[in-house]
Amino acid sequence: MTPKFSLKNLHKSFGHKHVLQGVDLEVFPGESMVIIGGSGTGKSVLLKCLLGLISADSGSLKMDGQEIRKESMAQNEERLQDIGVLFQGSALFDSLTVWENVAFRLIYAQHMSRKDAKKIALQKLAAVGLSEGVANLSPAEISGGMQRRVALARAIATQPHVLFFDEPTAGLDPIFSSVINDLIKGCVKELGATALTITHDMKSARAVGDRIAMLYEGKIIWCGSAGEIDTCDNPYVQQFIHGYATGPIHLETDLQHVA
Amino acid sequence: MTTLLANIGRVFLDFLASTGRVTLFLYQALSQGIRPPYYAYQTLRQVWEIGYLSLPVVGLTALFTGMVLALQSYTGFSRFNAENVIANVVVLSMTRELGPVLAGLMVSGRIGAAMAAEIGTMRVTEQIDALTTLSTNPQKYLIAPRLFAGVTMLPLLVLVADSIGVFGGYLVSVYRLGFNPAVYLKQTFDFMEVQDVTSGLIKAAFFGFIIALMGCYHGFNSRGGAQGVGKATTYAVVSSSILILITNYLLTSLLFEQG
Repeated sequence: MTPKFSLKNLHKSFGHKHVLQGVDLEVFPGESMVIIGGSGTGKSVLLKCLLGLISADSGSLKMDGQEIRKESMAQNEERLQDIGVLFQGSALFDSLTVWENVAFRLIYAQHMSRKDAKKIALQKLAAVGLSEGVANLSPAEISGGMQRRVALARAIATQPHVLFFDEPTAGLDPIFSSVINDLIKGCVKELGATALTITHDMKSARAVGDRIAMLYEGKIIWCGSAGEIDTCDNPYVQQFIHGYATGPIHLETDLQHVA
Repeated sequence: MTTLLANIGRVFLDFLASTGRVTLFLYQALSQGIRPPYYAYQTLRQVWEIGYLSLPVVGLTALFTGMVLALQSYTGFSRFNAENVIANVVVLSMTRELGPVLAGLMVSGRIGAAMAAEIGTMRVTEQIDALTTLSTNPQKYLIAPRLFAGVTMLPLLVLVADSIGVFGGYLVSVYRLGFNPAVYLKQTFDFMEVQDVTSGLIKAAFFGFIIALMGCYHGFNSRGGAQGVGKATTYAVVSSSILILITNYLLTSLLFEQG
């Protein structure tokens, strides 16, 4: 089966900081892959490379068997039409209302009438458990958990076949986190989409992932099914999932300076 | 001596690099902006923000400038019994110089800063990345409408500023200095030439372009959270103000040669 995404020996540096140092990963159609790793290990950079927001320095990056690392702006725009993204801080547009945020791609990229787009936006808001009452509010008027739901509704508004989730539960309380995890699982299943989630929340990773990969020092150091992660013998993974302060994972040098 | 030369060289190279980056940014914004789809709502919103909402600050600045100009001119010209040219001095100064420059500087402080802050906040909260993933080119959606509104609205604002400034001079001359109203108005309109007004409007279009370009450029390239947005705002106002003053001299010089 051709992987939906295939990454081979992917490198990305910012000046002297080598963030990705040879990432190898395959994500298959219909699969929900979760990438875990500590803060600053390059998870977000990897996601942005896949979205074409950042250009990787070298290596191969394929989607549906097509190399996308050097695609043009127009090709990237076309590819992104089938991708929905949930950003870490929700990234809702302050100047638009909740429903306009959800309907953004329908109105501005698919040129649907505002009336029809609003109908779909209200359906999607209902799908993530939000009532019509919030549709005309601005994002600043709703809570962080509700904003994350609106962002999820925006990501699935055009029924994309690929979904990216960037730290979907970051900053949310446990109950809201569980709600978001359930919604993500439900949306991915309903759309039959390929999902890629990056997180350092293990509860979320176990809840939404079919497979989990761990990124450390710019490389995937372990990849396996979600059920295997607790029994794997990789000391890095064990330290990370249990949150041990001591172990093979090095803390950032600036933290060591503080100590 | 070597260090001094090295520093001068570094500053010069930085200047060239910045010029190149701004030129590239402008090229991308214009090349995207001229192609459909066009964002009418975004453009109208900017027209409203720059044109209508700047009216009070520009109007007040022009009013008091015209009033002060009349008083100061009287002080100077009364020393050699040339008080009757005050109307000419006010109208010439306002239309050719003070109207466009002061309106430009006030709008730079008000709009340039707001543009940089809004776009900068969108950058650091990933809203610009979100635009890209929603199949919407950020330069087409954010930059092109602001450039268009800047170029078209500044001349209109300057036209208003010229009228209010001349009116301010009239108020002081008639009610404070005791000039005959009919004679003052006759002198104003007899002396004013079309070229006085058009040269100010040409300048205003350039100033509007500079304000929008600097506000958008610094906002779009801001990095590093709230501090980065603050810096972008400062750079936008300082760079646009300096460029307005430099461009004003260059345009005055050019228009002066043409009569």
